Amino acid sequence: MLIIKDLHASIDDKKILNGINLSIKPGELHAIMGRNGSGKSTLANIITGREDYDIDSGSILFNGKDLLDQSPEDRALDGVFMSFQYPVVIPGVNNTYFLKAALNSKLKHQGLKEINAVDFMSLIREKLKQVDMDEKYLSRAVNDGFSGGEKKRNEILQMLTLEPTLSILDETDSGLDIDALKIVAKGVNDFRNKERSFLAITHYQRLLDYMKPDFIHVLIDGEIVKSGNSELAKELEEKGYSWLEK
Amino acid sequence: MTHYQEQLTWLLENSEVNESIRSLRLDAFELFKKLGFPTKKDEDWRFTNFSKIQNGYFRLSRPSDLPNNFESPKLLNDNSYPIVIINGHYQPQLSKIPNGISVFSGSDDFKSNPHSYAIDSNKAYSSKMKNPFYLLNTSLMNSGLCFEIHENIQIEKPIEIFFCTSEIDDTIMNHPRFHFRLNKNSKATIIEHYSGQTKQSYFINTVSNFELEENAHLTHFRFQDESFQSNHTSFSGYSLNKYSNLNCNCLSIGSELYRHNIKVDFTGSNGFARVNGLSLIDSNRHHDLNVIVNHLDNSCTSSQLFKFILSDSSTGVFNGKVIVDKDTFQTNANQTNRNLLLSSSSNMNSNPQLEIHAEDVKCSHGSTTGQIDPEALFYLRSRGISKQRAIELVVEGFAKEVFTNIKDDNIQSRVNQKIGQWLESVSNHDKN
Repeated sequence: MLIIKDLHASIDDKKILNGINLSIKPGELHAIMGRNGSGKSTLANIITGREDYDIDSGSILFNGKDLLDQSPEDRALDGVFMSFQYPVVIPGVNNTYFLKAALNSKLKHQGLKEINAVDFMSLIREKLKQVDMDEKYLSRAVNDGFSGGEKKRNEILQMLTLEPTLSILDETDSGLDIDALKIVAKGVNDFRNKERSFLAITHYQRLLDYMKPDFIHVLIDGEIVKSGNSELAKELEEKGYSWLEK
Repeated sequence: MTHYQEQLTWLLENSEVNESIRSLRLDAFELFKKLGFPTKKDEDWRFTNFSKIQNGYFRLSRPSDLPNNFESPKLLNDNSYPIVIINGHYQPQLSKIPNGISVFSGSDDFKSNPHSYAIDSNKAYSSKMKNPFYLLNTSLMNSGLCFEIHENIQIEKPIEIFFCTSEIDDTIMNHPRFHFRLNKNSKATIIEHYSGQTKQSYFINTVSNFELEENAHLTHFRFQDESFQSNHTSFSGYSLNKYSNLNCNCLSIGSELYRHNIKVDFTGSNGFARVNGLSLIDSNRHHDLNVIVNHLDNSCTSSQLFKFILSDSSTGVFNGKVIVDKDTFQTNANQTNRNLLLSSSSNMNSNPQLEIHAEDVKCSHGSTTGQIDPEALFYLRSRGISKQRAIELVVEGFAKEVFTNIKDDNIQSRVNQKIGQWLESVSNHDKN
């Protein structure tokens, strides 16, 4: 599904990614762990299409297509989704309106009929239940006046609504208390199936206690220095990252 | 100046003979001459060039300027009581006045209260206001009406003053004067709607004074939708007696040159005023907004939110001042100005100020000017929304936020429609 080959990237001439190789198959959940500044979020943002970075070399193939040539919206329409580490507040843009616009954009792309207001509301109410989110957040502006936890639930709500095939969860656990984390993790787990892939980015093992990854990769200085299964997360929790540094 | 003097002479020869009105006009014109048209040296006016008005040859509108037939007005709210004024001339046959209010002409209002007009002239001349256009209006006022909303009367439907400049061959001007008195416990929604349908240049110079007596509630919507070739200068004054409540929203889209002075005076305690405004400017137009809120009494709350969206090579000016008088207490005031530049050649000058002479106050103010937030665009695009649509959503959201407090659904949806139309026209500029 996703194949990243020898990806080098920089921002303002500062190298951030130094040859990332990663392959994610349908149905797999991969976790990337690492310290602040190791390049985790950069990788997530590059896959999603943020334009602030220079791609120095390498490639990203998504279902056989070169992703780097595509606009963020085209990537999203093809099934790439990122749950933002810091979801953006968009004043004056109604959350329901935004969700509906995004879904209709996707339906149109798939050659399907746009959803009407009534069907959309019943769909969204069902998804709201899955993330235990109050309906009042629908009538507000996007992320406006949302607490940290509510913002993250709103991200997962979007994921459940848009049904992407590759979901990148960028520090989705940060800012969540344990109850909210369980709800978010359950939302993701219920959404998992053999076609959908996930890339979870996190500092801590905590998230991985609730979302069982198939693979764990450790990122240091823009390079994957070690990969393994869930045992690796426990090892990192005990020993930290320093034993993996060169 | 000579030209305006000639116009005054013409007006004095061609209007009702009343010695005291005559001297009011002449006195105001003397004060106007002393102040002169604003120049770059006048602090409150310095970012705006008024030479188009100063050197223009605008003549006062005459009854013969009325069109032979006139389409029914396109009101902002179809459900309003319309008060229709065409080229400065009141059209009673197109207007409807609700029960519980009295409407009379400006000269009748003056005759019943001549002193307040003279005092107004002196205030306009004083160093605090220094407003020559107010004085020009007093000397040349040739249109307008006075409304008195009786005690305890609550008018549910809005009253919409539709002031239209129709298709006309000559360059005309009008100096409408409106006076609204809301008596104790009264409640009304008043829409001031300025509309232009001519490609000819014209000049509108308005003064609207609103007096809110104890516990009066006013919802005011001012919609400046003049033709793009017009010059529009205006003054909106509000005096708020105790426990009165003002909710004012201004949407300004038209005019090549637009200057609006807003003055809110809390003359009694426990008043509330929310004053919001949005200016949408494109091509090489210029909008200049000057807001003064005077907290003269205790326990009053004022809130301001003014936004400008500037496209092409348009320019905008925001000058806002909150003054808290000494010996007042429990003042709550905030003022926000946010401006969005859609092009690199547009330009905005913003100057929010607080002048606090008391201790017990809660005041805040802020101003930001910037381009569309790239983070917001990326966020929307990452959800599959096209770049063009994402820009529209962000700009539309920025604009609509000003008017979220409008409770009238008809007005709300018409305002959103107007904003949408403007954004569409501006995005077409980019494509051309």
